[in-house]
Amino acid sequence: MFRLDADRAVEFCDGLRRRDFLHAGSLPFLGLGLSHFLGWKAQGALDQTKDVNVIMLFLVGGPSQLDTWDMKPDAPAEIRGPFKPVRTNVPGIQISENFPRMAKNADKYALVRSLHHNAAAVHDTGHQMMQTGRLFQGGVEHPHIGCVLSKLRGPKGDVPAHVLLPKPIGNTGGNMPHGQSAGFLGKSYDPFVLNADPSDPNFRVPDMLPPEYLSALRVDRRRNWRAMVDQTVSRFETSQDARLLDSTFHQAYTLMSSARAREAFELSNENEKTRERYGLNRFGQSCLLARRMVEAGVRFVTVNMFETVFDEITWDIHGSKPFSPISCYKDLVGPMFDNAFTSLIEDLHDRRMLDNTMVVAVGEFGRTPKVNPAGGRDHWPACWTSVVAGGGVRGGQVVGSSDEIGANPKDRPVTPAQFAATVYQALGIPLETELPGAQGRPIRVVDHGVEPIHELFS
Amino acid sequence: MSKALCVLWAASGVVFAATTLEVLPPTVDLRGSEDRQQLLAQAAADGHSEDWTRSAAWHSSNPAVATVNAEGVVTPVGDGSATITAKAKGQTASASVRVTESKAPFTWNFTADVVPVLTKMGCNQGACHGALAGKNGFKLTLRGYDPEVDHQTLTRQHGGRRVSLADPPASLLLRKATMQTPHGGGKRFAKDSLEYRVIAEWIAAGAAAPADEDPRVESLEVFPATAILQPGAEQQLVVRARYADGRLRDISRWVKFASSDEGVATVDDAGKVKMTGHGEAAITLWYASKVFYARLSVPFPFEADPKVYSQFPRRNYIDGLAVAKWQALNLRPSPLASDAAFLRRAFLDAAGILPTAEEVEEFLADSSPDKRAKLIDQLLEREEFVDYWSYKWSDLLLVSSRKLRPNAMWSFYHWIRDSVKENKPWDRFARDIFTAQGNTREMGALNYFVLHKDPVELSENVTQAWLGQKLTCARCHNHPLEKWTQTQYYQFANLFSRVGMKNGAVAGDTVVYAKATGDINHPRLLRPLPPTPLDGEPFDLDSPEDRRAHFAAWLTSPDNPYFARALVNRVWGNFMGRGLTEPIDDVRATNPASNEELFAALAADFAHPKEGVPFDVKRLIRTIMNSSVYQLSADANATNQHDTQYYSKYNVKRLPGEVILDAMSQVTGVPSRFGGYAVGTRAMQLPDVRVASPFLSAFGRPDRIICDAGERSSEPSITQALHAINGDTLNRKLNDPNGYAALALKLGMSDARIVEHLYLAAFSRYPTEAERTKVVGELRNARPASGTAEAQRDTRQKALEDMMWALLTSKEFLFNQ
Repeated sequence: MFRLDADRAVEFCDGLRRRDFLHAGSLPFLGLGLSHFLGWKAQGALDQTKDVNVIMLFLVGGPSQLDTWDMKPDAPAEIRGPFKPVRTNVPGIQISENFPRMAKNADKYALVRSLHHNAAAVHDTGHQMMQTGRLFQGGVEHPHIGCVLSKLRGPKGDVPAHVLLPKPIGNTGGNMPHGQSAGFLGKSYDPFVLNADPSDPNFRVPDMLPPEYLSALRVDRRRNWRAMVDQTVSRFETSQDARLLDSTFHQAYTLMSSARAREAFELSNENEKTRERYGLNRFGQSCLLARRMVEAGVRFVTVNMFETVFDEITWDIHGSKPFSPISCYKDLVGPMFDNAFTSLIEDLHDRRMLDNTMVVAVGEFGRTPKVNPAGGRDHWPACWTSVVAGGGVRGGQVVGSSDEIGANPKDRPVTPAQFAATVYQALGIPLETELPGAQGRPIRVVDHGVEPIHELFS
Repeated sequence: MSKALCVLWAASGVVFAATTLEVLPPTVDLRGSEDRQQLLAQAAADGHSEDWTRSAAWHSSNPAVATVNAEGVVTPVGDGSATITAKAKGQTASASVRVTESKAPFTWNFTADVVPVLTKMGCNQGACHGALAGKNGFKLTLRGYDPEVDHQTLTRQHGGRRVSLADPPASLLLRKATMQTPHGGGKRFAKDSLEYRVIAEWIAAGAAAPADEDPRVESLEVFPATAILQPGAEQQLVVRARYADGRLRDISRWVKFASSDEGVATVDDAGKVKMTGHGEAAITLWYASKVFYARLSVPFPFEADPKVYSQFPRRNYIDGLAVAKWQALNLRPSPLASDAAFLRRAFLDAAGILPTAEEVEEFLADSSPDKRAKLIDQLLEREEFVDYWSYKWSDLLLVSSRKLRPNAMWSFYHWIRDSVKENKPWDRFARDIFTAQGNTREMGALNYFVLHKDPVELSENVTQAWLGQKLTCARCHNHPLEKWTQTQYYQFANLFSRVGMKNGAVAGDTVVYAKATGDINHPRLLRPLPPTPLDGEPFDLDSPEDRRAHFAAWLTSPDNPYFARALVNRVWGNFMGRGLTEPIDDVRATNPASNEELFAALAADFAHPKEGVPFDVKRLIRTIMNSSVYQLSADANATNQHDTQYYSKYNVKRLPGEVILDAMSQVTGVPSRFGGYAVGTRAMQLPDVRVASPFLSAFGRPDRIICDAGERSSEPSITQALHAINGDTLNRKLNDPNGYAALALKLGMSDARIVEHLYLAAFSRYPTEAERTKVVGELRNARPASGTAEAQRDTRQKALEDMMWALLTSKEFLFNQ
């Protein structure tokens, strides 16, 4: 198998070296997003001084606010649960003992303890709202924030604007869309999905380079001939899937021809210590890869901590099978998050990237204040906590608070729409920006009147 | 009117019909002093309707019996009959009203009046007190599904403060909802509202509990049920509940409204619709766990010659019903597809294969007028047809080696394949599964139970696979969006609690039998419920008979509303690229079809055919394929470019991954190799989806873990493009020493002949002159001017491989059109 290695030139039977292939310039860049970008720039619609990236860690399953970042040690035992709070390096902020490394870095992130939503208490609704700002109704699928960014700004260089690691959210019981696509913007703005496990020892992006028996000239000739063959038939112009096929081929060629893109996926270029620090598991290595993606020019990285909530140990601690027990926060899920998240913000901080990279860690809802008979907690959209760092967010602060049992926001309630507005704000996308909806109906990125959490940035 | 406009109208054949006005509903029975009826003054002109209710002058012939206000709302005064007349723009129409029991003592009823108020005001929705845990210690049943429990909660819990019989206005229920006392849910209604009065008067009258003789809602009706409106028009909807005793009552005020497509129509809380775009939208109505909808449309702004519709070739009933929809929406159908396009499409859709170059030439040369019908008959008898549909039903029944040992998987697969081969009617196919007993080696269908050992899991698969219903939500609580309750869920699941299994003689062999005992408990009631199919008759808990037989009889009854529709939609979607409802495996009542008349006709023809055997799948396929609608061109005209759901053109669709792989094997002459399977096994012949294949993984094949049409994805992705460009699958087929390129050169075929043959094999058509010139020219240019014969041949072969790659990754190849 051919190894990805941008630093070494490889000789080919046709005399062209690998580097030649990569830099032959025969694969012109025709980035679809560029024209959009220039168009927007001309209108002055985007704040270009804000070249901010976002890494969104989606905590699939829904972490319990009471066992993570909003402890209630004074509540009765059936409320406060089995874990103890610890002090952090910021006076007055306490979090669960399950996150010892986070506790040493609380000055780098803020906590929003008053998120809540009113939709049905199923995973899928929260997935939609936290990633798009809206609940899907009336047949309208709203776009993921990263896809909106992709539409408005296009890719930066050869890498896709929005990458999703390692796989899209699968079945979580509701049979509804999960808000990880471009929705009404069209599939061309869907994220590039890795579909591989970065913690796999043989990890590589499938088929990123031509096989050794195929020369660069032939790859190029094939591309031209394919365009010639396609040219004669016009009936595909009205088919969205067909147009998308062209776009995916184009993006594939762009990726292939970019040394920078291929290098970004090369996790083995990281030293072993770093890899271990993030955690040698799917989520830990995905977070490390997310950092490399941003370094290579990816604007938005979505990392799904888990793929499903069934038969997998996740944040979804109902306490009975096929879901997870509450103890997994101490044994597995807690440490996994603590290592990956903390390493990520430490690295970004050390590399002076935290100012222009927002890291958001959030689940789809919180969990019932009262521990259920199975010793777990069930779905609770009325109140939960998110962790936000970087991208202009002032660390070491807590926004909003919950009541004495973590059941409802006590002050400064925050809706998913306001949360989305906050991410748009960090990205420098004006909230009145309109997107083309179905039948040309303009749809604002967030509804009129929805405000971001201003105090996060002050 | 200008002359030009007249000419235009004459040409487009629109005839000025006289405007007519009618009052809806035409007859009204008001019972008791609190009954009301919203009337509509509905005008019809020029093929569309208009709501004149607000502009009409309303008049009652007998105000001593009933009065009518300016908005068209009728109020009873005294017993007797009256005629209510609406006058507008010179038109007059009327409705007759009969009033009874107007002086009889009246009290509001908890089930019929109070619960609907709580539901409409959102008190018992999932986010508020309808949540599983309630809100602030106050928990109502979700959307009021259990009035008895709600009555208890309101009158007995919380020290009786929620409902105060002594001082009704002091009831917390009223004080909170009107925000006289702080309420987390905000103000739900005002003190001077009807909502307030209903609850206050019910409390004042003693807060009576629900009783067995309470009115029970049987169904809903809506006015107008269908209407063609103008862009931007507003239309009030009126909804009546039909009760078990036959009474009809206007309950519009308490209905939850929602639009299926807000790009076409929006609806407010009061049921007033505004048409915001073109096309058809369904307005869903939810009241007391009953679901219904109105279908409102705005024709597209195109002109259409009526001849387009009257002269459209009608081969069977499908065509007439599709034409009616196009005509209503001003969509002009595309012309019939060419023979070549039809041939390729029919092979791919019915059997998942491409015709060979020879088959193409033969079909194109055939001049008999019925050659398409003959081809369809031949295709339906091919072994590849059997492979294709066996694969499809294996997707449905989740055949895979994940939970089954190889021998078990094969016996399951063979049972499916044998059933397809003999064209076993769909009801028998299902019945065989649910009534079989014995060992899984001899009766492969029994592996269905081995895959789903848990009765709860089994019942979810059953509803999804055979009924097109998603029931999962109701496992833990009432379905928040549908009518299914947790009680119904466990009644249903208990049908499968007596499926016994023990190990057979050899590994992988299981004996399935009906146990005499065993139940599963409702998790909250902690007792078993009588096994009951969805909306079906309960089965005695103590009966010793096999519960599955009871279920099978219900499932396959021609009167089961879901069984036929679930299958028809899957088959229709296979051919037409889009189900009549989408997703394709979702035929629940709240998911309106894009052409309900057509869907109903297909389902009726499938379940109750005028002649022949019911549930004949092959006959259904033949009917669809022979329709003109199926045989339309994929080329759009000015009116139907964006149409995907009314079938006015053939929906271009990407081929399934397995079909693409087999087609690549066929054109290159190099079969795929699947580990553990004989060389020459096609992807469509695999009984298992766990066979390693990077190509199939990239191009999307279902995992067969859960029954969900969404498991099979055909969305293009960068991953697929990368695999097509760089992956070993196609590249190895192209440069195989025994592949097409090598062979064609060995046979000494000319470039021109090769190009023609490749176009026939890959695209099922001859190349055009322009294509011939270009492609042959490129191949010629790629030839080296000098070099040894061997080097020349090598260069030529590489060029040919590259040209084949271009053909086999082109849109024309990857898409069915």
